Amino acid sequence: MIPNAAEIRKLSVLSFSWLTVIFVAVWGVCWLVGILIPALLANSSFDFARAVSEICEAITPLLAVMVFIPINAMFMVLMERRVLALFTRRNGPNRVGPDGALQTAADAIKLLLKEDITPTGADAAMFTLAPIIFFAPSIFGAIPLLAAVTNNNKLFQIADLPTGIFFVLAASSIPVVGIVMGGWASNNKYSLMGGLRSAAQAISYEIPLVLSIITICLLAGTLDVVSIAKQQSGGILNWNILGGGALTGLNKAIAAFISSAGPPIAEVIKTYYPYGWLSLIGVIVLCLCTIILFGIYLIGACAEINRIPFDLPEAESELVSGYNTEYSGIKFAIFFLAEFTNLFIVSTIAVVMFLGGGDCPLPTWLNPLSYPAVYIPLTNILSPILSLLIDKIHLINPDTFWAALWVILKTYSLVFFAILVRGTLPRFRIDQLMDFGWKRLVPITLVIFVLVAFARGVINFHV
Amino acid sequence: MEQFELLTNWAQANVESFMLYLLAAIAIPCAFSVLFDRAIIRSGFFLIGVFGAISGLFLILQAQFLALAQIMIYAVGITLVVVIALMLTNARLEKEFSSIEPTERIGGLLVAALFFLTIYLALRSESWPVSSLQMRADNVLQIGVALLTNYALPFEFASVLLLAALMGAILLAKSDPKETENVTGSLVE
Repeated sequence: MIPNAAEIRKLSVLSFSWLTVIFVAVWGVCWLVGILIPALLANSSFDFARAVSEICEAITPLLAVMVFIPINAMFMVLMERRVLALFTRRNGPNRVGPDGALQTAADAIKLLLKEDITPTGADAAMFTLAPIIFFAPSIFGAIPLLAAVTNNNKLFQIADLPTGIFFVLAASSIPVVGIVMGGWASNNKYSLMGGLRSAAQAISYEIPLVLSIITICLLAGTLDVVSIAKQQSGGILNWNILGGGALTGLNKAIAAFISSAGPPIAEVIKTYYPYGWLSLIGVIVLCLCTIILFGIYLIGACAEINRIPFDLPEAESELVSGYNTEYSGIKFAIFFLAEFTNLFIVSTIAVVMFLGGGDCPLPTWLNPLSYPAVYIPLTNILSPILSLLIDKIHLINPDTFWAALWVILKTYSLVFFAILVRGTLPRFRIDQLMDFGWKRLVPITLVIFVLVAFARGVINFHV
Repeated sequence: MEQFELLTNWAQANVESFMLYLLAAIAIPCAFSVLFDRAIIRSGFFLIGVFGAISGLFLILQAQFLALAQIMIYAVGITLVVVIALMLTNARLEKEFSSIEPTERIGGLLVAALFFLTIYLALRSESWPVSSLQMRADNVLQIGVALLTNYALPFEFASVLLLAALMGAILLAKSDPKETENVTGSLVE
């Protein structure tokens, strides 16, 4: 018998209800602004109406992110507290709303109503600017990922950049400036120490983080997040975490073995693995390398966003609260909001780069929905019911729906993992942190980069 | 309809120059603040503003990759290291400008004049090759190919220079190992 079944039930109910609220709200706004208003204005002959509909289409990605970030942060704080309660066998939040489901909404209102204090001797302009610099890049950074996580939906294509992942990385490197600025401007020793630690840590761990992403880009041959996500479609064997496409040939060979209609297996294997045993070694090396890279990415990301084994900038037992000691009211709320948003964005990058984006983990030959015998009757039953929603008013887009569902599942699983790590590991010491970053992670990623560059020569990718 | 197209054409032509002036209005005051601000750490933060505005200029010129590299390496990486070094050496000292020797002043003026002359001559020179090729959104490929073919030698020299600087920094920062060896040795014995 599970001892804390009641807590698990509460967590599941909470997650399901909040996630429904979040994503219905986000998609509702997107549909309203990106589809309904342009459709209503489409027949209008006024130039002004055309301009309005174009503007509406252009700001849809921005609006989606702006609606998503505050609600999502509220949910993630609540989820973190619930999950930590689960791990430590305590009662989580349980006063506001059913089983504490509205706790963070109450907290948010409280924070917004509190007095905003600027300490004496603080540099007022910098003090105000710091939370903004910390928060704004997470909005910019999230936008190019939208097209990748929604299976290249028409609404979000405008935000798809050719330098996609590089843009996201550049944007996510900015927040540390906000931390240092806030730490310095507060006129407080603890804040200054927090800011200094944060800068040293972020610069050190950015190198392995970026190198691991670069290696995946080398495998994919592109920086564009949408094409990286597309390349990985077709089940777990195609995902970047398993060799970055090195197992695609195996996937195809199994599919050929199952259905006798396709090309013979030997031919498939010959196409993908042309050098015999050398290719075999290449596949093994690539699989090992990408799994290690995924681990390195998670470590680097954890350090970059100051999650707990790496939360030296706000180590509460040493530095009171680190860089945000002096902050109160809405400025503190913005710091808090940005931290959780960064956790979500980092998880989304991991999902897009390593875990196949919006792709079902089951390989196509194992997935019952991919066989005509199953999906034709299903569509026959469902189409009369859903045709109004899908074809007439475009309220549901099946491609986007399934992709978004898988992305949500994978991303929040990674968030859950981050909370698990937080509940498990103690904090690093600063010298251990630096040694681990510079003497372990950087050399490992460099070696892996060279290995991958050679190993990808003996396999045919994405034929 | 025609008016609308005229308007969009006008907007397209003018948005670039408008953005140029906007970025200049951010970059130039920030640059002056870097020079004249009393608190040296605030100067460091203004430097971040300058680099940010310059990356905006790259964005106007359709050089997305360069703009992002500018933000990632200069605006965040290098400037932050400088700011940390400043904080560690004289944390939050709004030091009065002590009396500077006149000889130092002249030396500074000379360096500044020479630097200005170099930049000015470089900007005024005629040899700015203009390519008539259509600008592509994805110019990462071109940059990579150029770095490893036409500009391979400067690229390699730059990396050797950086490596030498890195080794020099490690050598400077390395502490004398003798004492610690003795201590551990005595503990083991």
